[in-house]
Amino acid sequence: MSELGIPGASQRRGPTVMDVARDREDVVVGDEIVRHKLSSRIIHWTVALFFVGALLTGMPIWSPVFGWMAYLFGGLSVCRWLHAWLGVAFSAATVVMFFFWLSDMRFDENDKKFSFIDYLKFSAAEDPNVGKYNAGQKLFFWSILFAMLLVLLTGIPLWWPKSFSWRLRQVCIVLHDVGFIYWFVAIVGHIYLGTAAEPGTFRSMTRGTVTRAWARLHHPKWFRDVTGGRG
Amino acid sequence: MASLAATFGRGAMTNGWVDIKNADVVLVMGSNAAENHPCGFKWAIEAKKTRGAKIVSVDPRFTRTSSVADVYAPLRPGTDVAFLNGLINYAITKNRFHEEYVRIHTNGPYVINEKYGFNDGLFAGFDESSGNYDKSAWAYDADPKTKAYLVDKEMKHPRCIFQLLKKHVERYTPEMVERICGTPKDEFLKVAEVVTSTGNAQRCGTIMYALGWTQHSVGCQIIRAAATLQLMLGNVGRPGGGVNALRGHSNIQGATDMAGTFEILPGYLATPRGELTDLKTYLEKVTPTTLNKETWATMNYWSNYPKFMVSLLKATYGKAATKENQWGYDWLPKTDGNYSWMFIFDDMYRGAKANVAGGTEPGPEGFITFGMNPVGIGPNSGKMIQALSKLKWMVVGENYEIETATFWDDKKTKAYGGPPSSQIQTEVFQLPCSGFAEKDGTFTNSARWLQWKWKAIDPPGQAKTDQEVIARLLLAVKDLYKKEGGPVPEQVLNMSWSYTNPVNPDLGEALKEINGKALEDLKDPKDPSKIIRKAGEQLAGFGEVRDDGTTMCGNWLHSGCYTEAGNLAQRRNNADPNGLGMFHQWGFSWPANRRIMYNRAGADAEGKPWDPTRPSIVWNGEKWVGDVPDMKPDAPPGTYGAFIMNAEGVGRLFAPSMNDGPMAEHYEAVESAVPNALHPKVTPSPTAVALAKKMKSDKDVLGTADKFPVVCTTYRLTEHYHYWTHHTNILNQLQPGFFIEIPEELAKEKGIVNGGRAKVTSARGSIEGVAMVTKRLRKLAIDGKQVWHIGFPIHWGYEGDPRHTGPLANFMTPSAMDPNTWTPEFKTFLVTLEKGGEGVA
Amino acid sequence: MGAIQGFEIRRSSAALRGGGTMLRQQPTVAKYIDTSICIGCKACEVACQEWNDLPLVKTEQVGTYQTMPSLAPNFWNLIQFREIDTGPHGFAWLLRKDQCMHCADPGCLAACPAPGAIVQYQNGIVDVDPEKCIGCGLCEPGCPFDVPRYTARDNKMAKCTLCVDRVTVGLEPACIKACPTGCLQFGDKSSLLALGAHRVKQLQDDGFASAAVYDPPGVGGTSVITVLKHGDHPEWYGLPKDPSVPTTVSLWKRVLHPIGFVAMAAAIFGAIGHFMAFGPKKPVDTAKDAGKEV
Repeated sequence: MSELGIPGASQRRGPTVMDVARDREDVVVGDEIVRHKLSSRIIHWTVALFFVGALLTGMPIWSPVFGWMAYLFGGLSVCRWLHAWLGVAFSAATVVMFFFWLSDMRFDENDKKFSFIDYLKFSAAEDPNVGKYNAGQKLFFWSILFAMLLVLLTGIPLWWPKSFSWRLRQVCIVLHDVGFIYWFVAIVGHIYLGTAAEPGTFRSMTRGTVTRAWARLHHPKWFRDVTGGRG
Repeated sequence: MASLAATFGRGAMTNGWVDIKNADVVLVMGSNAAENHPCGFKWAIEAKKTRGAKIVSVDPRFTRTSSVADVYAPLRPGTDVAFLNGLINYAITKNRFHEEYVRIHTNGPYVINEKYGFNDGLFAGFDESSGNYDKSAWAYDADPKTKAYLVDKEMKHPRCIFQLLKKHVERYTPEMVERICGTPKDEFLKVAEVVTSTGNAQRCGTIMYALGWTQHSVGCQIIRAAATLQLMLGNVGRPGGGVNALRGHSNIQGATDMAGTFEILPGYLATPRGELTDLKTYLEKVTPTTLNKETWATMNYWSNYPKFMVSLLKATYGKAATKENQWGYDWLPKTDGNYSWMFIFDDMYRGAKANVAGGTEPGPEGFITFGMNPVGIGPNSGKMIQALSKLKWMVVGENYEIETATFWDDKKTKAYGGPPSSQIQTEVFQLPCSGFAEKDGTFTNSARWLQWKWKAIDPPGQAKTDQEVIARLLLAVKDLYKKEGGPVPEQVLNMSWSYTNPVNPDLGEALKEINGKALEDLKDPKDPSKIIRKAGEQLAGFGEVRDDGTTMCGNWLHSGCYTEAGNLAQRRNNADPNGLGMFHQWGFSWPANRRIMYNRAGADAEGKPWDPTRPSIVWNGEKWVGDVPDMKPDAPPGTYGAFIMNAEGVGRLFAPSMNDGPMAEHYEAVESAVPNALHPKVTPSPTAVALAKKMKSDKDVLGTADKFPVVCTTYRLTEHYHYWTHHTNILNQLQPGFFIEIPEELAKEKGIVNGGRAKVTSARGSIEGVAMVTKRLRKLAIDGKQVWHIGFPIHWGYEGDPRHTGPLANFMTPSAMDPNTWTPEFKTFLVTLEKGGEGVA
Repeated sequence: MGAIQGFEIRRSSAALRGGGTMLRQQPTVAKYIDTSICIGCKACEVACQEWNDLPLVKTEQVGTYQTMPSLAPNFWNLIQFREIDTGPHGFAWLLRKDQCMHCADPGCLAACPAPGAIVQYQNGIVDVDPEKCIGCGLCEPGCPFDVPRYTARDNKMAKCTLCVDRVTVGLEPACIKACPTGCLQFGDKSSLLALGAHRVKQLQDDGFASAAVYDPPGVGGTSVITVLKHGDHPEWYGLPKDPSVPTTVSLWKRVLHPIGFVAMAAAIFGAIGHFMAFGPKKPVDTAKDAGKEV
């Protein structure tokens, strides 16, 4: 167990930062800030789990290059069956996640200034007006959502081939693939940025907290908002 | 078959299935061979593939045969005579007939007596009161002194048959054919052109027909017209020619050969009538004598009648048959009237033998039916059900629960007017019998080939073979006679039953008996010191049959099928040395293993084949070679006429033995849609009308065109076999239910849609089915009037898998029949058509 | 039935590397259908069902001679009946045996994602191995002839196998065996094409100028070749005029797949490259940290 973040907490033995992070976020506790409450983290990882499952069961169907993945699940026939259910589970979880984070994901005036290229250069100073999520994250959120809808809708006819015309399914195959390729690329970026590229980020999805320094660097406005400008 | 016998001498397909491959033209008419004889039709296809033969389909419906035909022409059901006479007229007027053939092989040069005439639809000799013809008015003219027939080899004599025929058919111009048949003139001419292209020595054409010709009130006359056409074109007796009757069942030819109908005994020997009280009278009556001495002599093979009859009696009564007791002739049942199908049921329905002189004797009280579904095969199934309900008992031997076995079940028959079950007292016994694959035996196909078949599986459960059921019945009756006596005990007790296992006779033994054997040593008639056949040996053929009681033979025509060489029906050697598909070592083909009947006519006066590439038999200076000659093998050309079964030795363009006219004339069906365009006063055949009028019961009603304007026909489908495959679901899958084929325009007029319901009503009732709206049935203009025709298949009934039941087609058909064979008129009758309701039977 | 063990395979679905030994050269076999002499007797339908031991289909009469509207998972061979007005005075009732065409370039095989589920043997027969079929239904869009059908259980694809089990042991397919008129023939394709050419010549001499053998090049030819009286109107027989592997299947397999691989690789290598060039982005919070970092 870590040391308490709240000044004087060692004496008073009040709630720890983990206690706080169970049901609240955007709260400063000592040197740490709670960024994702427990339920947010659970839904994220649920989505992630189903996503990875769907990905691993879908990829061997997509190409025999990934045929080996099928063995993880007991063969391609199992994948064919599991993929559909994982897809549904993923979609359902995504919908829940959507409502969790919808309010934070609305674009504002400031987002228009966001430049992905500049952002990736890592050198430029962060726009001081970036809130809890920057425009790239919001874009990711919405695109994942739309890709989910696309892949879900095109997946249904592929799930029950006998109930849909083969002409429709022909189109669905192509769109399902387009969605999948987008996702793959997006997820690689997401994981990279959330881990190696920006140290200190990953813990926001595990412990739920980030350091003040991290918050100040990546989300200055959010930092100011949660610290009341005292940071 | 009566027509073929009357024309050529024998009632069977003249050539054979395989021989069709040798044809240049295949006219398929009165038959839908592709659908109903798909395996045989392969030879028509073969002719097309290898010889470039033309297949011509003439049919009221555009059928599966039409779909592969080179030429198709429609015609109104029942007008085939007009069409065929039109072809004969075309051949004569365009000089597209084989004149030399007509001169030497037909009775074209023969002169007919002066009494003969034809006027306004009636031939000379018609008796209004009986509805019969006095056939002496059609006899050949003969020299009063020598009794020899008058013959004009030039065929110029005004009363010679060629001239009479020419005059008879000249009314059948293409325009008249169009007026009667509705066949557009150009389409008729296209057919005429192709068919008459064979009216010469080089080319040869065949005709394939089936029930589409026989099941008319003018059925025999249609076939007569076809036979006449083929004789005129010189197409009989030649490979690739002939008039080929396609039999509807795998063994119907065999059934007919073995006395399938009441008026014949095995081998087409006449059933004696009561007035022929002794064998001598009988034989004098039935044995034809030879009369034409001036022209070629004739073999007149029927002069051997006594040999066939005595040997049959020996086979029937064995040792009990002696010279003293006329070989048991007295024990043979004699007929006193007409016991053909419709008459049996008329008697049954009316409870009296109404059609026998006196008409007071009671009708039948019991009925045994094996492999036969009387309710289904009709006609007028409603009457059949009523008739059966008047019986005291009925025995049905079948492998399925057939409609006849449950005729009493009003739940099933009520929709068709069946009587309430409570009013039926008939006791029905159903004996489980075996199907064809569950027993050995022979099939005799259309081509007269006896082919042995081996049992494939045992009958299921308690089912027994037909022969065992019949044997047990016979033995039980014999026992009863022994114990209790009864009328004419000799008839039963003397019956020979010498099978190794009398309870379940081996059919190989039965076939041996049919073939016949020597009962004593047979001496060579030319050299009595020589013995040609020892006692107990199988006969080599009907040439060895004797009339002195030294041989027995169950059917002279089949003799040669089971000789000392063994069961020839089992032969399966497909050697074909001349490439004409005769296969002499495959099975056995009656008569005498001959593959093409009348094959002498396939050669000219000198014995040279008309077409050297397709010889039937050839005179090589010493004997006839090729097929088994239909001729004395060593008789040089010019000795005998080619048609050895006919007393005059030639094929008959003019056949005086027919009951309804010596030459074919167009008559409308008994239920006629329009007046006869040739002679409106005599619209249907007068002899057929007279017969139909004998069916006087309240169930025998005929419709008229004013109330029932639509012509209807019935037919069969490839997918089903008669009335019993609706018990077989793999076939039901292919044709799941009853339907009514309706031309598009008529359907539109009546508001009927494809796949919807349609209702057909005849004077005898109504049935409903799924409408099949099609372009394949055309509206035909008959003498300026539009006449519609529709049709439906016969295969369904009220028994079987409930998903696949349907109305019996014969609820619709009338009790009209052909006056020669008493075959019902299933192919043309009148109905009305309307939109059907939902869910009605 | 699975793929025939030890029978030389030319091509296999979703295979990374070839499936056969390529030791045996076999002539391409073919089924020959002469529609001009087919009498629609349906013996082939029954023979197919019986040899392959397929359960019955529940059909009902709907106003046609055709057994059922189209092929079924347990009905691989169907005679199609079509009433066609062929011209001002022409009428034809065209009967054609419909079944898998066994394309030389099979769209089903191209579309199939399951390794070995669809195989093409060295002799040209295209077969399905139900054990490997995953029931995804992707072969159907791949087929220009609307042949694949799926079983009720697990959506396994089922179709005519050209009786490969019979052919392997030197027998002709069941349908050919049952055909009474000889409108169906079986043999090596080159000799059947010659037979077809002969028959087409006969038909042309009989006045069917456009008679032709249907062996569509768009799918590399087929191992079911069909003689048509009206060769200029294959659609009258229910055959596509110029069939090819559907563009979506090519788009999917030949365009989208490479793009996908490139995109996936680009994403991964991009991330690594980016890390090496720019990353990581760490907070420089305190002077001490900053000092350490620098």
